[in-house]
Amino acid sequence: MIRFFILFLVLQAGLFGAELTPWAQKYFVEPWTNQLAAISATLVTLADPDVTAVGKVLRSTQNGFAVSIEAGCNGVEATIVLLAAVLAFPAPWKNKLVGLFAGVIAVQGLNIVRVISLFYLGQWDFEVFEWAHLYVWQALIMLDVLIVWLVWVRTLPRANDRRGGGDGPPGGAGPAGRPAATAAA
Amino acid sequence: MAGPVARFVLKAIAWLPLAFAVWYFTAPVLLWPAKLLAQGVARVGLPDLVTSIEQTGATYTFATTLKPGAALAASGTITVDVNALLYAFGLPLFVALVLAAREPGWPRKLAIGYAVIIPFVTWGVLADFLKNVAITASPLVASQTGFAAWQRELIAFAFQFGSLILPTVVPAVVWVVTHRAFLERLRTRGVEPAAAP
Repeated sequence: MIRFFILFLVLQAGLFGAELTPWAQKYFVEPWTNQLAAISATLVTLADPDVTAVGKVLRSTQNGFAVSIEAGCNGVEATIVLLAAVLAFPAPWKNKLVGLFAGVIAVQGLNIVRVISLFYLGQWDFEVFEWAHLYVWQALIMLDVLIVWLVWVRTLPRANDRRGGGDGPPGGAGPAGRPAATAAA
Repeated sequence: MAGPVARFVLKAIAWLPLAFAVWYFTAPVLLWPAKLLAQGVARVGLPDLVTSIEQTGATYTFATTLKPGAALAASGTITVDVNALLYAFGLPLFVALVLAAREPGWPRKLAIGYAVIIPFVTWGVLADFLKNVAITASPLVASQTGFAAWQRELIAFAFQFGSLILPTVVPAVVWVVTHRAFLERLRTRGVEPAAAP
């Protein structure tokens, strides 16, 4: 477990530090965020044609209200946390890749819901928008990351099945070779 | 397969509104220790910059020794307000997770989580304050802080990490650490009630 948490924290700090570099911002974060705005606009226009995306800004052409997708709201940090949690967890690489693929889709999917909901909340009541933006959605996105990780962990083959134990999960499995379920006692 | 996880998630989501409401209305009390910690850190680490920290609700007001940029000889000094709620929304998330799992000894787990999360709230608040005076303030004000370029870079990183990562990751990590047996049951055979303590 200690190995998992150390690796998790190191990966997370490293990936976050890398994300902040001008290179990553220019070639990854900005295009990613612009794409997020474009996808959100595409989805919204299915029901509301008076919406457009310009760069990272989602704007109503009817009343001029706009939201700009900034750091913390583009899902990149949540993805980094998920990435670090999946990569740090002892599991076969095939499972990690599947978990990352499905996890990124789940996290970004909910993030699109966040962007769209904030866009309409802002037009309805700015105080509610601020609450949802600053507190509630932040918690929900992290809950989403945790859920994705929990579901992924449940899909993993048991350490004993893989190699007769020894690769204990952070869930507090017993020592190598013993059935991990004993930890639940 | 995701049945037990789904039940746990639904419980967590059901607890969230109440946890957020309690957190919001008790924030002045809940966040008082974070202010004390911030005062201690400022006294030791920033004695030439911060003269006092006052708390009004969930807002911390930093009184500084910095003079307004255009009038260095003036008697007035700059104060900086920081909303501590911005760095403390992990508390209701943690409470909702603990209550959704409802493991034996959950009040103790709540206390442990609170004790672990509060210092990170302080981190966020202090990093926010330092970012304000050293980076986003006017050059005349920022230059009075005396921070070198590498220190400003460090402050920027501490602020970003303290605002974008720590407020949500710390509660999740503390929850995982304090619910290892629950996670193990979740992983192996679903969540049945744990044995009484």
